Amino acid sequence: MNKQSRSVGMKRKVLGLTMMTVMVFFVFPLYVSAGVPQQTIEACVNKVLDVLRDPALNSDSAKDTKEEKIWSIFDDIFDYTELSKRTLSRNWKKFNGDQQKEFEDLFRRLLGNVYMDRILAYKDEKVLFHKESMLSDKKAEVQSKILTGSKEIPMNYRMVAKNDQWKVYDVVIEGVSMIKNYRSQFNSILSKKPPEALLKLLRKKVDKS
Amino acid sequence: MKCLPSAVVIVSVCLLVAVFKLSAFCSPVWAETLVFDSQRIGCSVVDESVPTGMELARLTLDVAPSTADDEEEEEEIVDIADPIYYWNKGMYHFNDKLYFWLLKPVARGYGWALPEGARKGVKNFFYNLAFPIRFVSCLLQAKGKAAAGELGRFALNTTVGMFGLANPAKEHPALNPPDEDLGQSFGRWGIGNGFYVVWPFLGPSTLRDSVGLVGDSFLDPVRYVTPMEASIGITAGDTVNETSFKIGDYEALKEAAIDPYISIRDAYVQHREKKVEE
Repeated sequence: MNKQSRSVGMKRKVLGLTMMTVMVFFVFPLYVSAGVPQQTIEACVNKVLDVLRDPALNSDSAKDTKEEKIWSIFDDIFDYTELSKRTLSRNWKKFNGDQQKEFEDLFRRLLGNVYMDRILAYKDEKVLFHKESMLSDKKAEVQSKILTGSKEIPMNYRMVAKNDQWKVYDVVIEGVSMIKNYRSQFNSILSKKPPEALLKLLRKKVDKS
Repeated sequence: MKCLPSAVVIVSVCLLVAVFKLSAFCSPVWAETLVFDSQRIGCSVVDESVPTGMELARLTLDVAPSTADDEEEEEEIVDIADPIYYWNKGMYHFNDKLYFWLLKPVARGYGWALPEGARKGVKNFFYNLAFPIRFVSCLLQAKGKAAAGELGRFALNTTVGMFGLANPAKEHPALNPPDEDLGQSFGRWGIGNGFYVVWPFLGPSTLRDSVGLVGDSFLDPVRYVTPMEASIGITAGDTVNETSFKIGDYEALKEAAIDPYISIRDAYVQHREKKVEE
């Protein structure tokens, strides 16, 4: 009896707390969302670092498991549709529905492979997050630095809020925006060739690695 | 001999003004080359047909047309004219082979023979030696604080740091301003990139930055080592030492690209743009 009333009390407390949280989120959305982009990306980078430092995953045989885990972190944080649209920019509309879908998938694998290789080469670098600036109320840039033995590499993440989730749509390393860089390459190819030709190049590239 | 650096600054400024005037004079020609070029390498023309007036405007201004359903405030393409494309592409291949066949194996062997600590010392030494380039460029941009920081670092590292072999200034943020060079100073003065140039041995550059590099080389003490063979040898040594820290970077950049030539061209322009802004 006593136990039950206590659990009811608990339930009420939990309910009250939930209500309050909801209220706070509802009433002060601006205050709550400030800092969230940085927290999101920081948590994600820490997750990757945890995987890399996990001694159980350090053997050669565990390489696949390790990569799988990192892939799932990538898929959580990157918005591939946004990435693809922004990279292709006005060329996006030249692709039909199926082509857009395939492009998204190929681009995801290309970027994933590139970043996977870089991440797996990680030794004892440190990652420092130092600043977040809102580009608009739905876009933010989080600045970080990778500290290696001989230098600092500035690495910024551009993020967009979609359905209350912050997702990365561009990574800027030493001032070089990844999507702008790919855009210049894709523009050059698509100015001479149809979308299918670009897809073919991407397929070849992704299958090779 | 002592008045050389100041003479050099004056000469390079004159040269710059000349180039600037020339570039203003040439710009319609450039626009035409760009149209011609974009069909060959595809800067931003949408289809193969002769560009219409609208497309021409888009081409020269590098502005993507805004799509109605999406706010695209960051769509502007940092693009650059490439009128000497065939030369550049040739030099790109030359430098690529130079890296894989010569520089990389040599830097690898060197890195194997010399421990990291010693290589870092060499790196620090050359960095400290190139102080005049950064200092003068700070002054030319009226960056007093940065110039003071450069001067402070030079003083500290040359004395306490034993002729720059060590870098005790590393721990003081005020003594670590962003690196400046003449190309950036010119950019700060509002001078545009001009067009893209790839130099053998030196790699990607632009017309503006090439003029800057010439000026920089006069501010570099290594230039004044005689005989010239020794000066070139020292520069080569510096390059090998520098490369020993960066093996893998170029490979990764190339591996990530669908069209490495365009990727490197764009990365160079974006990177320089950011450095000018700083």
